[in-house]
Amino acid sequence: MRVHGQAAFVLHHRAYGETSVLVELFTREHGRIGAIAKGARRPRARHGNNLIPFQPLIVDWSGKGELVVITEAEAQGQNIALQGKALFCGFYINELMLRLVHRYDPHQSLFDIYGQALYGLLDEHTEAVLRVFEKRLLIELGYGLVLDHEIRGNSPIQPGADYLYIPDAGPVPYENDEDGAVKIKGRSLLALSRETLNDDAVLQESKTLMRAILGRHLGGKPLHSRKLFREVKYNSSTPRH
Amino acid sequence: MMPESTAVGRLIQCLRKLPGVGPKSAKRMAFHMLERDRDGARQLAQALQQAADCVVHCARCNNFCEDRICGVCQSPRRDHSLLCVVESPADLQSLDEAGVYNGLYFVLMGHLSPLDGIGPEELGIDRLEALLDEGAIKEVILATNLTVEGEATAHYVGELVRARNIRATRIAYGVPVGGELEYIDRNTLTRAFSGRSEV
Repeated sequence: MRVHGQAAFVLHHRAYGETSVLVELFTREHGRIGAIAKGARRPRARHGNNLIPFQPLIVDWSGKGELVVITEAEAQGQNIALQGKALFCGFYINELMLRLVHRYDPHQSLFDIYGQALYGLLDEHTEAVLRVFEKRLLIELGYGLVLDHEIRGNSPIQPGADYLYIPDAGPVPYENDEDGAVKIKGRSLLALSRETLNDDAVLQESKTLMRAILGRHLGGKPLHSRKLFREVKYNSSTPRH
Repeated sequence: MMPESTAVGRLIQCLRKLPGVGPKSAKRMAFHMLERDRDGARQLAQALQQAADCVVHCARCNNFCEDRICGVCQSPRRDHSLLCVVESPADLQSLDEAGVYNGLYFVLMGHLSPLDGIGPEELGIDRLEALLDEGAIKEVILATNLTVEGEATAHYVGELVRARNIRATRIAYGVPVGGELEYIDRNTLTRAFSGRSEV
């Protein structure tokens, strides 16, 4: 099978043999696929320099099965030049994609969501970009969250009230803590629902909520890129944003 | 193909462990040494044995060496207030052969690659931190590769350096010497422009 002109991003790349590269691509119409770019590490490789994470690409490939062969990879505009903390966030997004999105499962709208998140990391509040991405990713994978009404009785969420979010179900009015459930304010739920995460308390609560929910889908195996953030914070004494 | 039970077969199999050596090259190497250069073969065997037994990581810079501390780290002619962080011994050698730098090094033996499970712990960054905490170093030059992983590593190490009030610098990037703009990729050109300097 030959595929031409497919929009794609590299999620992960790994040297293979002396001159080749194995890449995990996320493509617009074919979803996540594994591919090999032969000779891409030769000094004058035609498309070698383009096959890097965060570079919008137009890719041709041939073959089927576990590993297709990249025949052309053209840069589509500039690479998304993530730096510093934004770069760590980019790795985090890629790791989430690798862990939660299955191969050969096309997700056209997720492709746009993914691209928007990467561009968002360039100039927006990185934490807010990550939360919105996580929320939209869960919707695309069929695990969308209930954020605007209670699951028992359907009453709308009140900004001033406290709720208990039960993973895999949704929010109920807060009475007392429960194992595995997350206490959260109504205004944080609504902010996440409307994607208007612009104050620190809301961001912190949304992070705790998303971490608990993602944790269930990740099945206990930790995300390596998350470790990177923690250690940067832990090791340094200067304040950062 | 020689069966692996024979000495020649085993030699060919072992030579294939070398990077870039396939079955054909391995066969050529084996036959060449056996037919024409038995002495060379013995020397090679001895050199391999010695290296495998004696080479360790320098307790300071993490580079390969035979003593606890390597010659570079002990040299009084080098500037002990400068530290250059590189990914591999090959990078260190390139820098040293170019003769542009006369300070000390730290070799990470890789780069941060969270998606492959290589974090700060696996890279042994705590040893670099111990070196910084000694207080003699005034500037750290981050000379990791210009790949996304190299950039992430430089950022991570840079944070650790700055947190100790030590100057952290990153090597420049852009148009290579002898390069023609026409043939340079877009990302490199962007870097070259954003990093332009006064003439």
